Amino acid sequence: MVVKIVTDSLGDIPSEVAEELGITVIPLNVHFGSDTFRDGIDLTSEQFYAKLAHSKIFPTTTVPPLSVFVDTYDKLAEETGEIAVITFSQKLGAGYDSALQARELMKRKCRVEVINSQWATMAQGFIVMAAAKAAQAGANIDQVVDGVRQNIRRVDVRVVFDTLEYLKRGGRIGKAQVFLGAVLNVNPILTLKGGETYPVAREHSRAKAIGYLYKFATSFSSIEGIAVEDATTPDEADELAKRLGSKFPKERIYRSKVSPAVGVHVGPHVLAVAVLRGKD
Amino acid sequence: MARTDKRNQDKAISGQDLREMFVAATGWLEKCAADIDALNVFPVPDGDTGTNMLLTMRSSLEEAYRTSNDCGASGVAQAMARGALMGARGNSGVILSQIWNGLAQGLAEKESITGSDLVNALQLASTVAYKGLSNPVEGTILTVIKAAAAAAQAHATTVSDDVVSVLEATVDAAKESVANTPTLLPVLKEAGVVDAGGQGLYTLFEGALHYLKGETEQLKLRRPWMIASSIPLTAKVPQMVGVTEVPYGYCTNFLIKGQGLEPEKLRKSLEKKGQSVIVIGDDSAIRVHIHTLDPGEVMHHLVSQGTLHQISIRNMDEQYQDFLEMQKERMPAVDIAIVAVVAGEGLSNVFASLGATAIVPGGQTMNPSTKDLLQAVELVASGKVIILPNNKNIVLTAGQVQSLTAKKIEVVPAKTIPQGVAALLAFDYEADLETNVQNMNKATSVVKSIEVTRAIRSTRLGGFDIKRRQAIGFLDGALVAVADKPEDVLNEVLAKVKLDEAEVITIYYGADTTQAEAEQVGDAIRQEHPQLQVEVIQGGQPHYNYIVSVE
Repeated sequence: MVVKIVTDSLGDIPSEVAEELGITVIPLNVHFGSDTFRDGIDLTSEQFYAKLAHSKIFPTTTVPPLSVFVDTYDKLAEETGEIAVITFSQKLGAGYDSALQARELMKRKCRVEVINSQWATMAQGFIVMAAAKAAQAGANIDQVVDGVRQNIRRVDVRVVFDTLEYLKRGGRIGKAQVFLGAVLNVNPILTLKGGETYPVAREHSRAKAIGYLYKFATSFSSIEGIAVEDATTPDEADELAKRLGSKFPKERIYRSKVSPAVGVHVGPHVLAVAVLRGKD
Repeated sequence: MARTDKRNQDKAISGQDLREMFVAATGWLEKCAADIDALNVFPVPDGDTGTNMLLTMRSSLEEAYRTSNDCGASGVAQAMARGALMGARGNSGVILSQIWNGLAQGLAEKESITGSDLVNALQLASTVAYKGLSNPVEGTILTVIKAAAAAAQAHATTVSDDVVSVLEATVDAAKESVANTPTLLPVLKEAGVVDAGGQGLYTLFEGALHYLKGETEQLKLRRPWMIASSIPLTAKVPQMVGVTEVPYGYCTNFLIKGQGLEPEKLRKSLEKKGQSVIVIGDDSAIRVHIHTLDPGEVMHHLVSQGTLHQISIRNMDEQYQDFLEMQKERMPAVDIAIVAVVAGEGLSNVFASLGATAIVPGGQTMNPSTKDLLQAVELVASGKVIILPNNKNIVLTAGQVQSLTAKKIEVVPAKTIPQGVAALLAFDYEADLETNVQNMNKATSVVKSIEVTRAIRSTRLGGFDIKRRQAIGFLDGALVAVADKPEDVLNEVLAKVKLDEAEVITIYYGADTTQAEAEQVGDAIRQEHPQLQVEVIQGGQPHYNYIVSVE
């Protein structure tokens, strides 16, 4: 009986990877006014950004109703007695709380552990992927949960922004608000710290900002995974992935796209690098 | 015409509706009262604005429920105004009760409220609210009620006088006005928040609108929208001259009950005893709000006039400390401050917006003293301070500061404004002092600085014959061009820089240069080097027509 791994769509895990590792991804909802889309299912990243470019209304996101979580758990419980749910950072939204509440409403009997990953993007994705690999290798739920808790400290992410307007509008600007209002046209670089948006650095040109991402990725003594994520600039991301490919084994480099639900809050033109550090 | 009238008649708000509408609105306010409390910036609103407004509304509603069911909109509004006056708390509560006072006056003798009634009532509410204050401040709840009333009027005359539609316009205008409050009130701008009282009023209007539109589901499941400041948080640039601590004193509130009271006279006498004086009421009950250093004297002064009720005295220095603590949590936990020497308002804004903690005015012709720098260093809250002199004549002075303070001082010897900006941009919020100083030093070495100014006398220098008032251009401190027009000099200097290898050019134009002149230079560069990111910024620096950075 294999432990089943559940996460949400803010982890930006490429769908083929999720499928291969048997990860169940619960999509958040993306709303344009009264139109609702399931993240990554009814709306791809490309479609989302095309829509965003022409939309007068700012989109919003919501965590799906509890029933979606309950049904997902119950369905998996037909095959397993142990489920690990790894959610995006509790400080960024209600995903963790919903995942936890849904556990009480299950019809089937099954042990469900819910863990706040404290991250989003592929930083969360790496934690989830590692958990799925452990589960496939035969780890029990306690071992999986233990692994997740350790891996929370092994991942990191840097995101280059074009504008912080979306973060501000969506109320997720956090401590990065010190970067608002720069008189110069700079590219802010942010991370998540303690599960919250946090300012790191600023570069005066896009090229320098991408240089920052490269330096960040290559600053670790050992690395188990690197993900390069783009929103609307796949060529830029491919180029960066290629550069990193000369430093790291290619099988450890993932290319991913910012999911629409993440896109609502980060806006177009972002470029991100997430890493899973090696075990020291 | 008759049809329209009929429709408006159908949509008119009865007395009972009015009460229920504000029951819903008060419930809506309650959901975000704590968030509004957290917006508080001393010394504009004081205490817990959200809670104060909520309690004021509750008192208002209690009174409304004492009215009979058939007393009409006028009766309900009057009861609510009375209840608000009796229960008003804090600055914002008192102003809110004035708004109710105005609304009640505007709705006098109205059985039900049409769109045009609402317009009139809002106008009066705005007028009465302003009147209640001896010194009305813009960027507060006052501005919001004024904007809301004006929008309601405009909507009714140009779009529709349907009461729901008028209220919708009122809510929209209130929202916009709240977002705009920081542009009117520097203390809000510094704190990066909107006015709390304004947010409270907007929330009340919005809750009332939800009720009127029958959106009970919304009221139950959703939360009020907290408006974000339309201008972002910028670092506070402290005043450098003679800052002495002024105690804030006590925020004092109470109600006087008596006979033949004279609010106007009372206000006049109180204005001498403190600040933020609000005195409202009638000959039988008066509410007083004052910030004073001696609340005892104020009470002593008034106790002869009647009986005192609901006395509340709060220490505002404590409130201010609480506010500072709260602000800290909103900022990254970095114990490194940056003190920059900058001349010109535009350039000061550039440095402040990029995270300089304090700006010391100064530059080429105005070198600050060691004492000026020391004062700024002592003023910032951090124990570690990086100084950016931004001028070669100030580097040495900056070096003197370390021996005069217990704080850890590092000087990043930026010799020009472009070097200073580059250094500031290189600051990493995750790195420690040592790493930051290294990175910042490195950043100053890769940027090229161009300065264009005018010769103050005729001379011969660096192989150039220079006439007085001619424009002269420097590249990284070395004189490389002379001409009559600053723009020609700038172009000559730019020709000496390898622009093909550059990414970003930033042109800061000085106080003696127009934006049009600077934009022209910028456009010419863009045309010739389309790969470059060219920014033209108003630097406002004295003497220097252009300061340009090439990265």
